[in-house]
Amino acid sequence: MAKQGEEGFLGFLELHDRRRRHAGSDRRRRMEDSRADGRNPNQLRPFSCTRNPLDRAHGSARWAQGDTIVLAAVYGPKPGTRKGENPEKASIEVVWKPMTGQIGKQEKEYEMTLKRTLQSICLLTVHPNTTTSVILQVVGNDGSLLPCAINACCAALVFAGIPLKHLAVAIGCGVLEDGEVILDTNKAEEQQLKSFAHLVFPNSRKSASSKQPNQKEEDSERGLITSITHGVMSEEDYFSCIERGLAASSRISDFMRTTLQKQAAGDEELKAVV
Amino acid sequence: MDHHQRWRPTVNEREFIERALQSDLRVDGRRPFDFRRLKILFGREDGSAEVQLGDTRVMGYATAQLVQPYKDRPNEGTLAIFTEFSPMADPAFEPGRPGESAIELGRVVDRGLRWWSPEIAVWESRAVDMESLCVVAGKHVWSVRVDLHILDNGGNLIDAANIAALAALSTFRRPECTVGGEDGQQVTVHDPEVRDPLPLTIHHLPIAVTFAYFGEGNIMVIDPTYKEEAVMGGRMTATINSNGDVCSIQKAGGEGVMSSVIMQCLRIASVKAADITSKIKNEVNSYTSAKALQKVKRLPASALKKDNAPDVAMKEGSDVALETQSTKASSDGQQINKEPPSVVKDNKQEDVEPMLTECNPEAQSESRLTAGESDEKQEVISPKSLKDAVKPKHKRKKKQHKNS
Repeated sequence: MAKQGEEGFLGFLELHDRRRRHAGSDRRRRMEDSRADGRNPNQLRPFSCTRNPLDRAHGSARWAQGDTIVLAAVYGPKPGTRKGENPEKASIEVVWKPMTGQIGKQEKEYEMTLKRTLQSICLLTVHPNTTTSVILQVVGNDGSLLPCAINACCAALVFAGIPLKHLAVAIGCGVLEDGEVILDTNKAEEQQLKSFAHLVFPNSRKSASSKQPNQKEEDSERGLITSITHGVMSEEDYFSCIERGLAASSRISDFMRTTLQKQAAGDEELKAVV
Repeated sequence: MDHHQRWRPTVNEREFIERALQSDLRVDGRRPFDFRRLKILFGREDGSAEVQLGDTRVMGYATAQLVQPYKDRPNEGTLAIFTEFSPMADPAFEPGRPGESAIELGRVVDRGLRWWSPEIAVWESRAVDMESLCVVAGKHVWSVRVDLHILDNGGNLIDAANIAALAALSTFRRPECTVGGEDGQQVTVHDPEVRDPLPLTIHHLPIAVTFAYFGEGNIMVIDPTYKEEAVMGGRMTATINSNGDVCSIQKAGGEGVMSSVIMQCLRIASVKAADITSKIKNEVNSYTSAKALQKVKRLPASALKKDNAPDVAMKEGSDVALETQSTKASSDGQQINKEPPSVVKDNKQEDVEPMLTECNPEAQSESRLTAGESDEKQEVISPKSLKDAVKPKHKRKKKQHKNS
């Protein structure tokens, strides 16, 4: 298998919100200053994804969102399932490694969330009575850790060739005191949040026939896989999170798609050479 | 699960490796006394380093906290090395308790750094000066913890882990603290933003160099890969510094080796140790000078408290990232890059769109699509009363959550 450190890169993702742009200039100024690192509320940090940085793992990915970096490795499918798992299906085990210290309740919850999220995107009946291990190592934590980890896992599963129904795209949304929703929160911002929601969506589907699919139609088809919220938010805030999260997730899924396509093309070339 | 065990060579593979070694050939094309390519990367935070030795990868992360010292050493800080073989590194490694080899690895690295004998404890020859970690004798000392994460097992984990620990400790900074108060026992820990954190006092860098022995102990190679490790008859790790002082020698059983061979190994090890020491020092110096440059850049925008300067070390290869990030940094009013200042002004006046054009022209057109769609978004005004009632409680809850 080709071991190469090809890297995909996504510039500053932006979602323009015309409502805000049409508002008065005072409002706009406030909005632009609203985030300490100079991003506007809908702007994501620069993303990058490295394919198969590890040699021994069957598939691995290093996913970075700004300074939040997670390394994910996949081993499997290995024969047999653990006690208590359904042997008729493939089982997934998730191991979370924090930067320092032992894993606590929060990390256990992350493991559980990840396991269930991945179970929903994997085709579990293709390899019955097998176990696939997903190991995550936190390399840098600057907020939105769980969404970053989910994206890393998903990429690693693809690189390991595990059969998937579709990709999962995760995004962290934060609700500020004044009800404003910001995307891809960093650590400093997370201290000031009233509440936050980590949302996972399936990737936006693109049919091969039409080059320019109608985005609106497409978005309405997509469901919500996982939603982890913390803190109090109104119903409207939550729906606003979902709406913005969904819009952002289609950008992330485009990034994932281009990254994977680029790497698949690299593989083809390699095969041609051999 | 017992299905996955340590990589075991087939009879043919074993013979191939052994026969090739008899004519001084190694499976990866190295000569017997060549190290694999060493690469040291530093993380965003101080005290985090990632070492690549060929295909072997180890991440080191150093942290510190104030603790009470041990009773028998009231004026010394502590240093602890934590290693765990992450199941990420090898299919044979299982999650949970560290195995035998994980403990051996941790101990070898630890003993190298802790080179001292109790009888001559005044010797300043320990790698990390423990007395400089004392704040109030008998009350508060710094306890430094190094976590070594084995990410990829390509063989010779000890040497890679040792370099990772040294790199992490060399870039580690502990917050400055002062002693004051009425009784002179009050310890104030200063915020790193206010007072620059302090580096550790490191006297020398003890480098672990591992040899693998084959045959009847007459064939030896340096820095074995995992394939060679599976075939070898014995192993010796010599921890040695650039002055040629031997800090520790670990040879746990295996094939017996002639003392003349051991002497030869030590001579080779001291040459290798000097090479690796200079490599680590160079990397650490370039990292610290890059860090210092960032600080200069950050000062005018200190009100923001958040630095958005590029992470040079970790993002090799993604030039685009650096470019866009430095553009962003320049909006603080400091022009460090070659980008025309008009771009920066545009950013402030209109929207951040020009930034997009330079990093991803495709993204711009697509972002319009999303813009059109978000037209329908409705203004969200949440009820103030509810928010106000809940805010303080929520805040408290969150802080506890963070600490735990």
